Amino acid sequence: MSYDDVEIEDMEWNEELQSYTYPCPCGDLFQITKEDLKLGEEIARCPSCSLYITVIYNMEDFLADSNQQKGIQPSKQQPVTVA
Amino acid sequence: MVGRVKCNIDASFLANSDKVGIGICIRDEHGAFILAKTEWLNPKSEVRIGETLDLLSALDWVHELQLGPVDFELDSKRVQILFNKNITRRNINRRESSKSRLMEESEEEKKYESERLWSWGAGTDGQLGTGRLQDEQIPQQLSLSSVSSLACGGAHVIALTSGATAIFYLINSATGKVLSWGRGNSGQLGHGEVVNNVLYPKAVTSLDNYFITHVSAGWSHSGFVSDTGCLFTCGDGSFGQLGHGDYASHSSPVKVSYFVDQHVAQVACGMRHSLVLLKGSLSNQVYGFGSGKRGQLGVSKDKIKSINLPEVVNGLEDVEIVGVSANGDHSAALSVDGNLYTWGRGFKGFEDSHLPQCLNSTLKFTKATLGWNHALAMTGEGEVYMLGGNHLGVLSDLHTVRQAKQLTDSREANLEKVPGLDGTKITDIATGAEHSVLNGEIKTWGWGEHGQLGLGDDGDRISPVTASLGYDLNEAASTRVYCGSGFTFALTKP
Repeated sequence: MSYDDVEIEDMEWNEELQSYTYPCPCGDLFQITKEDLKLGEEIARCPSCSLYITVIYNMEDFLADSNQQKGIQPSKQQPVTVA
Repeated sequence: MVGRVKCNIDASFLANSDKVGIGICIRDEHGAFILAKTEWLNPKSEVRIGETLDLLSALDWVHELQLGPVDFELDSKRVQILFNKNITRRNINRRESSKSRLMEESEEEKKYESERLWSWGAGTDGQLGTGRLQDEQIPQQLSLSSVSSLACGGAHVIALTSGATAIFYLINSATGKVLSWGRGNSGQLGHGEVVNNVLYPKAVTSLDNYFITHVSAGWSHSGFVSDTGCLFTCGDGSFGQLGHGDYASHSSPVKVSYFVDQHVAQVACGMRHSLVLLKGSLSNQVYGFGSGKRGQLGVSKDKIKSINLPEVVNGLEDVEIVGVSANGDHSAALSVDGNLYTWGRGFKGFEDSHLPQCLNSTLKFTKATLGWNHALAMTGEGEVYMLGGNHLGVLSDLHTVRQAKQLTDSREANLEKVPGLDGTKITDIATGAEHSVLNGEIKTWGWGEHGQLGLGDDGDRISPVTASLGYDLNEAASTRVYCGSGFTFALTKP
């Protein structure tokens, strides 16, 4: 059973993981790659536990412009100001 | 000498000298000076020993002077607690408690009179403070013994140390030191650097000049409140949840200038939003900032994506709020009359609420805690009720899909009494993302995949089960429980 339905715009792009992520209740992150999204995959999994979420998105947004990502603007992680 | 006198005592420990300085000052009931003396003791001892000898010396002197009723004042809480216990527990009325007994108690005290801390559950970011990056299914006792309260977030923990022990360990330090550990990749630990994990408790030194009285840990951000009412935030600011007017993240606590002329009493950090409770301001007392998509800010009936400066929560005017909490996309406030207000993401079967809704119940609550899909509320009689108990954190069977409840006006239909407590008076409650903990005994239920229930396995439980700490909780004066997303802490105080 899917833990939750999450819109792609509520997920964050994680540069390090090269994935869209969303908090998992275990403390880790649900993750899905652009490649998965292009293939129509809608399940984002957590690498640390059995839970997964259903990602709500428009596949065309990812197929149409794979480099520029004009269609959607998910939140990006901000750089952290040190000190 | 007639009337009551006051005797102030203190011991000093010099780095470059092998002796302990003792100061004793006696004043009358009007505060007028009577007598004072100083002494040196050789060799230099541990602080707790020195403070004990100081008290002993004062007792001897007061006895010698044949003074009447005397109030002793000293800054070593440990010595004070131990001395009082010594008198009450053993019914010793003799004025000259023997030196050896005090010394012996001082040694024992470490075993019997200090705080104890346990952790269990998800630990792969070091959030359990065990020094290991692994989950624990059984409660692990930590060697950290100076903690007075905790806040647990997504995968990090913030601890406040108690004054007495701070004196014990750090002679010149004031009370209310802040420690943090666990995941630090967004700066949420406040150490001034971005690190994946901190395995052991580490001081948030930039707050050294403040006496921090209240802390909160969100998914990846943190809030700190000082005794003077200043609010500091650090960590992930991508949704405006730090309240600085931008979307920047910070790895050191930064003062929230919006509240610079106000007295902040509490902060509550959720997944991507924060709530603030002001002291002594009845009309504009609760503020929200950060992500507001599910209504969790409560600042407008319209849908708000996010705000990066605090705004007043609507609909709590004329209600005196004494506590706020936030977790996941939920928000809650508790009034002085015991009414519970919730807003944000709707609990199972209910729609999101963009403004605070008062729970329709005759019950009077004294504490409420939030998970990601459920809430617990405790009454003054020590009974515990659950809201939204239909998800993982649940009382009902996980795998039995219940028919969706009809939406009704009465939200009371959603409130279930936690069963199986057999009249046990519950003294504290805590909620993780999908699990719950309460104590009288420590009982846990909900999602258990990471061992967060502390029962020695990774199974879920649909109703409360006793988790053993291997310690008789009756020996503790109080026990508190705390939950992070997938982990749990228990703290006992002597």
